[in-house]
Order: sequence, then C-alpha cells, then structure tokens
Amino acid sequence: MVTTATSVTPDDVRAVLDTVPDPEMPPVSIAELGMVVDVRVDGGLVELDLVATYSGCPAITLISEQVAAAVSAMPGVESVDVRFTTDVVWTPERIAESAHDKLRAFGIAPPGSGQTLVQIGSRPAPVACPLCGSTDTVADSPFGPTPCRSSSYCNACRNPFEVLKP
Amino acid sequence: MSTDPRVSLVLALADDELVIGHRHSHWTGVAPHVEEDLAFSSIAQDEIGHAVVWYGLAAELTGKDPDTLGLGRQPDGYRNAILVERPNGDWGYTVARHYLYDTAEDVRLRTLADSAWAAAAGATGALLREERYHLMHARLWLDRLASGPIEARRRLVDGLIAALAEAPGLFEPLPDEDELLADGTLPVSHDEQRRQWLEIIAGDLSALGIEHVLQGEAHHTDGEFVATSSGELLSAEESDGRSADASGGLGGRHGRHSDDFASVWEEMTGTYRAHPGATW
Repeated sequence: MVTTATSVTPDDVRAVLDTVPDPEMPPVSIAELGMVVDVRVDGGLVELDLVATYSGCPAITLISEQVAAAVSAMPGVESVDVRFTTDVVWTPERIAESAHDKLRAFGIAPPGSGQTLVQIGSRPAPVACPLCGSTDTVADSPFGPTPCRSSSYCNACRNPFEVLKP
Repeated sequence: MSTDPRVSLVLALADDELVIGHRHSHWTGVAPHVEEDLAFSSIAQDEIGHAVVWYGLAAELTGKDPDTLGLGRQPDGYRNAILVERPNGDWGYTVARHYLYDTAEDVRLRTLADSAWAAAAGATGALLREERYHLMHARLWLDRLASGPIEARRRLVDGLIAALAEAPGLFEPLPDEDELLADGTLPVSHDEQRRQWLEIIAGDLSALGIEHVLQGEAHHTDGEFVATSSGELLSAEESDGRSADASGGLGGRHGRHSDDFASVWEEMTGTYRAHPGATW
C-alpha cells in the first residue's frame, strides 16, 4: 500500500502503543501498564522512552521489538528508536485505572488491593483477592511467575492468585 | 578496554550480580522445597537482570555490547568477589552468603544512590525496590535457621564463619578507587561501606545470639586474620603491586579468582563461546 507521508503526532503513537500487549500479561497493553515515559516525534522519526516494570525484565527485548514493529507500521513513520530508561522508577501506581479489571480477570491483584511496601520483619498486609474480593488472604511468597509478581492465596474462594508487587 | 575508572566500578557490580545469580540458579529444581525453588530461581533472575543493567552502563562507556561484556571475557577479566563464585554448599552456607551478600549490596546501592554519576544513581532507584525482597528472604532464613533446631543453627554458624572469612572481598577497594572518590562517582569509600555493613550485620547477629561468628571478620580488620580456605588462584601474577594473597577473599576486583570460578565460568559462558555472535 502506498501512503502519502502524513504527519504523525505523539498522541497517534500513544494510541498505537495502547494496542501492544504486554507479553506476560496480554490482556493489558504496555501503555496501560504505564511503561511509556516519553514519546518524541520529529517528522518521520519517532523516539520512545519506556520504563520496565522490573529492571532487567527478560521481556524487554521482546517488548522493544513489538513496539518498534507496531510503530514502524504507522503511515508516515520512517524510523523508530526504542529506549528503556532508568530516569523514572516504575511503580504499580503507573498502571491505568482501565487496566485494573483486566488484571483481576487475569488473576492478578492490581495496585490499590492493599499491598504495601513491606518492612523487613513485619507481616505483609492482606491483599484483596482479585477473583472474589475477599481480604481473607495470605501471602504465600514474595516471588511469583515473573519478577514483578508475588504469590498469595485466598482463604475465602480457595484460589491461589498473584499480586503486582508494590 | 576503556580506561574510564567507572568501568571497574560497574564491572565489579555487574560481575558480582551475574555470578551470584548463576550460583543461586543452581538451586532451581533441587531446593529443599518448592517455595525455595521458586524463591532462589526468582532471585537468580533478578540478580542476572540487575547485572544487565550495570553491563548496559559499561556498554555506554566501552562501546562493547552487554552480552560481550557479560559472557565474552576470559576468567581473569572478571571483577567479581571470590565470595560469590563459591559453590552453594549446604543450606546453611547458602543462607549465610545470601544474607551477607544482599546486606552488602543494600549498603553499596544506597551509597551509589548519591553518586555524582547520574546514570548510576538513577539505576539504583529500581534496584533498591527490587532488592528489598532478597533482603527479606535472606533475613527470614537467617532468623529461621538461627532459631534451631541445633543442627540448623550449627550449619548456619559454620556457613557464616566460612562466608565471613571471604566477605571483605565484597568491599575490596577498586583499582581506581581514588579517582572515583575524587569526582564523587563513589560518594563513600569501600572501606567505609564495609564499616557500615559490619555495623548492620553485628546488630542482626547479636539479636540472634551468634555474634561470635564475627571474630574472624574482626581479626581481619586488625590485620591478624588469615583465611585458609581460599588459597587457590587462577592467576598469581601481580597486576598492580598487590600480593596475590586471597586472605579475606580479596583479589576478585583485580581479576584474581579461586579454582571454583573456573567451573562456574565455563558453565556460564559455554553457550556464548560455542556459538559466537548468536542472538537469542
């Protein structure tokens, strides 16, 4: 398809980034997860600053490739430069409200479920179960299937679930 | 390699993380129970991920890509402390080293948070958040083993004595320490960081009634302690006038390692050496 070069805006790019799924939490886009720090557009050149949900996340390369592919496919985009920055620290508060229910349906407690920064030596506060909403839950392990998630168990609905680490 | 003094700083950080991460991964599948399998696998993944962050900074300074830096050097090019290259041993030694290492890492990351080098200071933000989980895990097990039964406490004490003898290597001054201190890249010397670390662990160990394990450390501080278990070196050449004496687990920051490094290096870099230039 031949397209005439139209001018791309940062908002256009952000809209496309909202269609790129997170590889490990596919119901949610990388934009909804708050991974997009900055979008700069200069003619057909697009520069993106992203932040990883966990430093050294093994999905970083895959995300970079998928983002570059999606943005490169936009009419008027000639080149895409994707960079991961440490200028900001990702925290779960960066996740969009719109993603909270999608995370719950995926079995992951979104931010605001009661998780707090745990002090060494103290017990973690109960986190609301993403499946039934009960706070009769126990922390199983500070570790989970990906670096950014921990494991909990719900005594009410008797399901294991995951928690986005605070 | 570039002569930028910051290279020796980030390689020390990165190599420690890479090698301890690799050692932690040896518990994958064979830890005492499934939760610890998950814990050590996850911590290993974190530490290797953190190594990638530091190799990324080294890459900017040297122009070499992070994979080449991480996996493409000869053994005497690695700057990790000897403590992190030791095999896991039993659970007592594993917990002891994990606790001593992660407590030391907390001290050095908090030090670097104030670095005049903005990129290094910036990297500590996410790392410190993530390392809390390692520290919690280590202290939980320190407490649990120290609380008995007797066999657990004995093994923990033996592990602490062995690991403490080599822990000074974590704070071995870097070859370019003076330059790094002068321009504020390193806000606090490694000697001072070690004092801060000793204060923290002395508090924890006293609370558990096992502070006597620090005697070896204290003697080393006074220059009287001589480690006997870390004598085998890959390279005995003196690169900078220091003796190739491994007492206190020193030598790693100058590329001098124990025999235990050879096996972990071969395993760690095997795929990279077998398939040069491969991407995955």
